Amino acid sequence: MSPIGVERRERPVDPLQKPGEEEAGPKRPDVGAPDKENLLKRMRKVDPKQAERYRQRTGE
Amino acid sequence: MLDRIVGIETEYGLLVHHDTSLRAPERIAHRLRDHIFHEQRLGLIDLHHRDYDEPVGNGGFLLNAGRAYVDMGHLEYASPECSTLADLVAYDRAGDVIVQRALEDAGLAEEASIIKNNVDYETDATFGSHENYLVRRSFPFDREGLDRLVPFLVTRQVFAGAGRVGAAHVPSGLVTIGEPSARPQVSFQISQRADHIVNEFFQWIQANRAIINTRDEPLADPERFRRIHLLLGDSNLCEVATALKIGTTSLVLQLIEDGASPKGMALLDPVGALRAVSRDSTRQWLIELADGTAASALDIQMEYARAARAAYAGRNDEIDWVLDEWERVIEDLRGDYRRLVGRVDWASKLWLLETFREAEGCGWDDPWMKSLDLEYHNLNLSKGLYFALGEEGRVPRFTTDGAVDLAVENPPRNTRAFGRGEAIRHLMKSQTPYVITWSGLLIEGRPPFRMPDPFTTYAQAINAHLGT
Repeated sequence: MSPIGVERRERPVDPLQKPGEEEAGPKRPDVGAPDKENLLKRMRKVDPKQAERYRQRTGE
Repeated sequence: MLDRIVGIETEYGLLVHHDTSLRAPERIAHRLRDHIFHEQRLGLIDLHHRDYDEPVGNGGFLLNAGRAYVDMGHLEYASPECSTLADLVAYDRAGDVIVQRALEDAGLAEEASIIKNNVDYETDATFGSHENYLVRRSFPFDREGLDRLVPFLVTRQVFAGAGRVGAAHVPSGLVTIGEPSARPQVSFQISQRADHIVNEFFQWIQANRAIINTRDEPLADPERFRRIHLLLGDSNLCEVATALKIGTTSLVLQLIEDGASPKGMALLDPVGALRAVSRDSTRQWLIELADGTAASALDIQMEYARAARAAYAGRNDEIDWVLDEWERVIEDLRGDYRRLVGRVDWASKLWLLETFREAEGCGWDDPWMKSLDLEYHNLNLSKGLYFALGEEGRVPRFTTDGAVDLAVENPPRNTRAFGRGEAIRHLMKSQTPYVITWSGLLIEGRPPFRMPDPFTTYAQAINAHLGT
């Protein structure tokens, strides 16, 4: 019987792999020209009054 | 990362679209909790009464060894114990995925939206994102030790704040007699929780939230460990902000444990400074120190960053990432805030709102601004404005969708969470009654199984205990 821990090898990947490896780590964002029109289109779909309906209990 | 266990607890908000009754969000929270445990079978519901407000069936542990439960009417997720930033961010995001998938799978996506934020704008309710850091019992948990932590915590909002439109009206006492004072006139501030923190140190939570919560509940061997519980932070969506918040705070705790934290940084009025920094639209963020001088929040952060670099540079890749990104963010904040879009939530939100204001000619007092603020935090990928930024390639990731998917149903492999996850997986196949807690479990017909050390996986021991 194999010990627990040997059977499942999947785990979240390391985001800090070195350049050239399969997954690149965090990068600085491109602060160049974003597509504002797509974002504005999505924002215009937001119900202007929805915040008035958002009433929550105070938590911890 | 460092030799430390960390975790995040998130209370989610629920925007109910048609039912306007006050209890509607709570009803949806209960339905989601039931769907997660009874329909999707993502964990084991509690069979025992945990506390006076946690009756049988109120929540349970998940296959990933975290918890989902209803607390104060909110659906809440507590991540499992993590020892790396890679795991911490993946398991924090896994909580978002678990609750959003439950909403969609239960057919409730048209009825409600899940909002990962910390305030509502109508009643000034607040709900938390709580951070947990395991420290050694010898941590100087006294006035001198905690005073070293406070200047860092007050100023870290410059990169950890989620931002909000307006300000909360928080009474200065428990009961307001007579007419309430006017709501503060603030267009936009960088923190959601700053308005709600009214004390430096306190052990309880509601109505007296403190910069440092002093409750002594280690959820581990109390002779070896203490759990630093912080409730002043905002829920982050930017993965870089989450990693930086937890990573820098871990490093500062380590500096204090090692007696290497910067000196001479005590603030004259920490609670006042927390609020003033959050609301400072000039982003000068000047703070009066106890010695009568003044320093900017960025300079205070840089003092901590330099001390951490001197002490810990080169220890491992995660620490080096934190040190590099910490200094980079501070330097970027000295210039145009738009350099932080995608990495810092308040900057991302402010840029979106300013873009909208410019296009539509809205004033900050337009109700639409608060509604857009809310939509930034919507966990629906096709609606949430944070995710819209991601679609435009504006958001650097710290984890991957694949890692998050794994974290939904699998525990971290190198902490106590692993043993708990194995027990849950085993118990889900049997009909044996159980009691599961953070620090142990009890299975009917067997002796108690204790897990007092969060750094131990208990892999072999739990295997023997379960007879598998």
